[in-house]
This record gives sequence, structure tokens and C-alpha cells, in this order.
Amino acid sequence: MKQEELQHLYHRAGFGWHPRNYKEISKDRKQVVDALFENSKSILPIQLDFSYLDGLNQDDLKKFPSVVKDIQKKNKKKILELNYEWLKKLIYSNTLLRERMTLFWANHFVCRERNPLFAQQYNNTLRHYAIGDFRVFVKAISKNAAMLRYLNGKQNRKRKPNENFARELMELFTLGEGHFTEKDIKESARAFTGYSHNFEGGFVFRKLHHDYGFKTFLGKTARFNGDDIIDEILSNKQCARFICQKIYRYFVNPKLNKTHIEAMTDVFFKDYNIENLMRFVLLSDWFYAEENIGSKIKSPVELLVGIANTVPVTFQRQRDLLVIQKLLGQMLLDPPNVAGWKGDKAWIDANTIMLRLKLPSVLLNNAVISLEEFGDFNDATRAGFLKNNKGKLPFKTLADWDTFLKEFNSVETENLHQVILQGSINKGTLAYLETLRKTSKRDYCIQLMSLPEYQMC
Amino acid sequence: MDRRKFLKNSALTSSLFFVPSFLKAFESVDTSRLGFKRLVVVQLAGGNDGLNTIIPYNNDIYYNARPRLAITNDIIRMTDDLGFHPSLAPLRSLYDNGELSILNNVGYPNPVRSHFRSMDIWQTASDSNTYLQSGWLGRYMDIYGKKPYNAIEMDEQLSLAMKGQYFNGIATNNYKVLYKTAKDPFFRNVLSHYNDTHLSEHNLGYLYQTMIEATSSAKYIFENTKVKSSQQEYPQNGFAKQLKNVAQFINSDLDTKVFYTSLGGFDTHANQQNKQARLLTQYAESISAFVKDLKQNNTFKDTLVLTFSEFGRRVKQNAANGTDHGAANNVFVIGENLKKAGFYNNLASLEHLDSNGDLKYEIDFRTVYATILSKWLDADDRIVLNQDFEKLNFI
Repeated sequence: MKQEELQHLYHRAGFGWHPRNYKEISKDRKQVVDALFENSKSILPIQLDFSYLDGLNQDDLKKFPSVVKDIQKKNKKKILELNYEWLKKLIYSNTLLRERMTLFWANHFVCRERNPLFAQQYNNTLRHYAIGDFRVFVKAISKNAAMLRYLNGKQNRKRKPNENFARELMELFTLGEGHFTEKDIKESARAFTGYSHNFEGGFVFRKLHHDYGFKTFLGKTARFNGDDIIDEILSNKQCARFICQKIYRYFVNPKLNKTHIEAMTDVFFKDYNIENLMRFVLLSDWFYAEENIGSKIKSPVELLVGIANTVPVTFQRQRDLLVIQKLLGQMLLDPPNVAGWKGDKAWIDANTIMLRLKLPSVLLNNAVISLEEFGDFNDATRAGFLKNNKGKLPFKTLADWDTFLKEFNSVETENLHQVILQGSINKGTLAYLETLRKTSKRDYCIQLMSLPEYQMC
Repeated sequence: MDRRKFLKNSALTSSLFFVPSFLKAFESVDTSRLGFKRLVVVQLAGGNDGLNTIIPYNNDIYYNARPRLAITNDIIRMTDDLGFHPSLAPLRSLYDNGELSILNNVGYPNPVRSHFRSMDIWQTASDSNTYLQSGWLGRYMDIYGKKPYNAIEMDEQLSLAMKGQYFNGIATNNYKVLYKTAKDPFFRNVLSHYNDTHLSEHNLGYLYQTMIEATSSAKYIFENTKVKSSQQEYPQNGFAKQLKNVAQFINSDLDTKVFYTSLGGFDTHANQQNKQARLLTQYAESISAFVKDLKQNNTFKDTLVLTFSEFGRRVKQNAANGTDHGAANNVFVIGENLKKAGFYNNLASLEHLDSNGDLKYEIDFRTVYATILSKWLDADDRIVLNQDFEKLNFI
């Protein structure tokens, strides 16, 4: 496999390329992709310590308001911990493709849950089905406690149906706008009545609240239940197409290509097997076409994880990671609404671009971006800067440059831009890079990470 | 070290010779200014308890619903029915001068009681069941704005309200830091080499354009803001600092139409009394200083201040001496030539509440926006709001 193809694959199926994957250059495409799936076979859920909830039940909470307050406090902290654990998984996990796809699904089956136990469960559900059977996946989502709370499935009862979930199921999760009617929403909402969950987040079906009557949905009439509705939706090829469009936008190119998407749709519609679909994408020639390489703007999480992948960095204060996510506009577990983050250009505005450009140097190099033409001057500047900035830097981090130098030993400093940057480099910027002295691999790495090109993947 | 060489280089890079032509065009002085009228938005985040802000002090239902939370002492009585929370004393002179208009029962149909969702609804001016990805001020700027600094938010992050389909305002809680970041010599070198051919329509081109805009805006704001510190004293808190900066920008005559500020912490589910009193004090003292500052500089006449919160709170207090999320709430409009100062309308009935026990809305908040857009900002509100809303008579 060619170096540039490998890099592209690892930017999309993971969070960037790393010299440790050099050896794969001798393998063919199928072997490399096979290995990606093989490595993602195991499912490693996040398991936080929830012992503070042991022995508690709904009635206790009703009886003792003071307990509620205490629990709420702990819950709030736990959510932050969950955020941190998830980020750690993205950075360090060996099940690369599974984590990549978990992140993708989190912005597809969008859900915001403040109960950390349910939030963890939801996150693990995404991870569990990430490269599995889409049909089973949708059904699991429809019965998940966090989702039942988020889109009012719990309040959906025979006497008083709540259409929130039914609407988003079709509009955002499966078919897309314009492929169903308001009547389809009303009828399918009835099929999901009676769905509820218990204190531990397990699914509970309340027969008394379920509407067993006939429903007319997408032109068919039957005593549909929720699972039936999902089967009916999936029997519509538009559902496969809608998912493939989203996969294409996220994994291939924000600009859609109809021919490629139709080919994907044919594959996916056969069995709704996510692994088969992703294999098809990652093995196809068009995936590696030049127009797709470096065509995506990294999300804040992609940016952050990518930096940490290249130069190992320790955050001395957990909350700094939250602050960065907040500043850049993507706090994991806290999507803006059920439509999720818009992505692509929407990540970038005047404020975030400057923050993003400055972030690598702040995290890794005390906010200094070297001006290599004047090596000695620069060192003096850095010393002066450090003195002036003592204690003023916004984040407390420790960058492990030794490891970076060891791992990137095989890459010549003057070629570093080829592995740090993805896609085409602006001509003028390339000319500027040529004027740089490149005496320090570390300085050059920071310089490259401080370019708009580094925002692309 | 070679200081001489460095100086020579930096002098060169900053000379016009090395600045690409489109960059020059961007920085050239724009003669078509947006006009003089300015809007300052104040967002009280968390859901301010409107009933303890503007108090129906003669209403038994109010006292019965809030046995421990009703304000009983030091209410500033404005009419026979309504009075100010004691913390709002600094606003009294505005009221007396006819510079404050209070709109009661502002809300929207099918109110949502989630902070995030309701805030989105207020910021995007959407219906309660539609999701818009652009804000009302951003869409206004799509049509009438040119430069990111035409709309400035005094925060690290840009609110949805300030994002249009194409336009993004500038968010900065410290314009000097933004300037310092943008001024990094490395970025300056990169931009001075930037070559525009074939790139601008791609994502990478967009990144460079945004970087150029940010750099230019930061420079514009920094260079055009008069540092001469204001004569006016402000209280010591974050919100006052935001307003002080806004006044500085306005008094420096920046070409900025819209300023966005925010004061958070109003989500008072428990022990509301002291918390709200403290926040309202911050609000009222800061606003009062801000108005004085503008008046001293003769810029108040061209400034309108709109204060809102994403929802009001339940009429009935809860068991923790707090209040839960409610619906309709009051909105404050501050400005010089108000058509209808004082109370724009009466408080809604405390008897006939909605099924949730919340005030029913009477004024759709989008009629307030439509009024400001058309009567103050001279804009076509129907295009910005995608609907034709009735105009009110407060300005």
C-alpha cells in the first residue's frame, strides 16, 4: 500500500497516521483493512465506578430530597469523568475503527443524557453496535433509557402519544426529511407507546400503555409494534441511502458523489451490515482518490486526539480538556441538539480558527511557534516568553517530546510535513515552509501543526 | 542573535509590498458604514425568575404560591400592581426618565422547559418544534453585515444567535488577547506568503479566508478602540466588564451594529433569594453604569439594550426555596426615545396558568425581534425571521 493511501486510511478510520504503521507499507490494501477490522473485534466498554448508587432506588430518592442533592452533585462529576474516559479511549484505544465509528454514531443517534449511568450505557451501546448489524442497532437505540428520556419515549402513551422519537427516528436517524408524512409520524408514534425503563436503565415494556390497534404506516396497515416499524423503515431503500450519504460525508468527502453513494447503498441495503459497508468503502479505489485526501475539516475532537497521537501529552488538570472542548465548540456528550454538530465549515469561525492554530503550540511548546530563520534569536525569545508567561498559560500540560523523537526517528525532519499534513498545501505556504531551517524536528512539528493545513484531514 | 536582520524582515513582511491584494482590499477603509443605530443584547442565562424581578405585590395568589419566596420588603413600587425587586433600584431613574420599557408575558407557543432548547429557540427565533442552525442576528448580518466585527460577542465562544448562514460574528472576551494571538509572527509570515489561486472555494481556502478575517478584525478592533479609560466607574464583576468593553467600543465608534453580552447563574432551583438578589444587583448596577457611560459620550441616543432570559419560572415555589423552569417572562428594553416607556402591558393572570402552572405568553418574542429589526435597525424583518410578525409599539 502506498504511503499516502495508508495515511489517508488512518486519518479517516482512525485519528491520523503514525510511524508505527510504517511496516504496513509492504502489505496490500485488503490486508491492512482486514487488520483494522480484526483489531476492532473486541468490544471494550467504558466502566466507571458507580458504587455511590449502590442500594438506591426510585423510592429513596422521592423520600429523601437531601440524598437527591448529593447524588446530583456526584452525577455531575461523573459525567465529566465519562467525557474524560471517552477521550482517553479515542487517544489510546487499540480498537481504532470501533472507536472512530462510535464517535460517528454519537453524532448520528444524537442523545444528551445527564444521568451518567444512562449516558455510559448509551455510549457503550453505540460502541457495541458500531460495526455490527444496523437493524439490531436501531432497535436497541429505540429501547435505550437515555434515548427514551431524551426524545420523550417514556411519555409516549396510548392515551397521550408523544411524537418526538418517531419524528426524529425517521427525519434524523433513518430516512431523512421528505420521505415520510406527518401521518406516518403519528401512526408510528403509537407503535412505540409503552416503552419505558427502570431505575438501572433496563428496558421495560408497559403493556397497559401500549396501543395494540391497527396502524397505517408508509402505506401498510397492521398491528405494528416498534420493532415492526423499524423493519418497515429499513425495507425502504431510502434508509440505506440516507445512512450511506452520512457515512460518505463523514468518512470520504463532505461533497457527495452520487455514483459512489449509490454503489454503497446497494451494498448496505442487502443486509444492513455496517462492517460490510465500511469494508466496501475502505477497499474501493475511489476512497483513495486525490479529491478525497485532506478534504475534511477536523472536528475539535479529531484535532485534539490527532495532536496527542503525534506528540504524547499529559494534561495535569482534567478540566483543561473540558475547557478546550468548550472553547473549540465540541464537548463530548453535550451535543447542541438532536441534529448534532453540523461539522465541516461550521466548526470554523474567526475565533475558533485562531484558537485552533494556536492550540498545538500552547499544549506542546509553551505557546511558542518558532521563527526558525533566526535560531538563536528564537531561543532568546522563548526564554523571554517563558519568563513573561510564567503561570499565565491557560493549560497545564506535559509534552513527551522524547517519545515523539524516538517514534518519528524514521522520518527525516525535512519530510515531516508529508506525514503531519494531509492533502494539498497552499503554494505560498509551501514556499514559506521551504525557507524554514528545519534544524529542530520539534520546532518544525509545531510549525506544521500551526498551519491551516493541519486543520484538514 | 541577529536583531537587525529580524527587524528588517518584519519591516518587510508588514510592508504593503508583501500583502496579497485581497488582503489589502479587506483592510481598506469601508466607506459605506452600517448606520449609527446599535443594539446591545443582554442574555440572562439560566431562566431568570421574572415574578420576583417585577413583582405583583398586590396579588394574593403571588404570596400564596410563594409562602417563603415572595418578596415582601423594600419592593420599589412603580404602579399600583407592580414593583421592582429591591436590587433593581439603580434602574429606577431609567424608568422615571422614560428610558426603560418592560414587556410582560413574553414567550412562544408550546414552550420548551429545557435550558438548551429554549435558549436555541430564543437565539434562532424558531418555532418550538423546528431546529434552525442559524441565529436571528446572524441572519440579519447575512444581509446587512460585511465584516465579522460588525457583530461582537463579549465571550470566548460565538452564540448561535450571532451565526448566520454565511456570516459569523466575532467573539472575544479579551480583544487584546485575540489581537496578540493573531499577531503571532509565524501566522503573519504564513499569511504574507499565502497564495490565493484555486483554493478559496475549497475547505482549505475557507480556513485561510477565515484566518485573514480574524486577523484583520482583531487588528481593526485593537487599533480603533480608544484606550482612554472611561470616566465612568463600573462595579467589579464579569458582566460589568463586558458592558464596559461594549461602551468602550461604542464610544470609539467601531463599525459594530450588534453587541452580545451574557450574565449567567439564574437557574435557581434552590435557595433562590440571595442568589437572585446578588445577580440582579450585578445586572442593575452594571446597566446603570453602562447607560451613564454612554450618556457622557453622547452615544446613548443611538443605542438600544434588549434583556431577555430563555424562560421564566414556575409561579409556585418548590420545596427547596427555589423555583422550577417555567414559561413566559418579562423582557427589558432600554433606550432614549421609547414610544411606550414603563410597563408595556399588564402582567398575565396568576390564576389562569397553563397546564404546567406557568404564566401564559401574550407577546411572541419574535414580535419583539421584528420590531427591533424593522424600527430600530431598519432591516427587513420578514427576510431575517422567515415569517411576518406583528410589530409592537415600544420604539
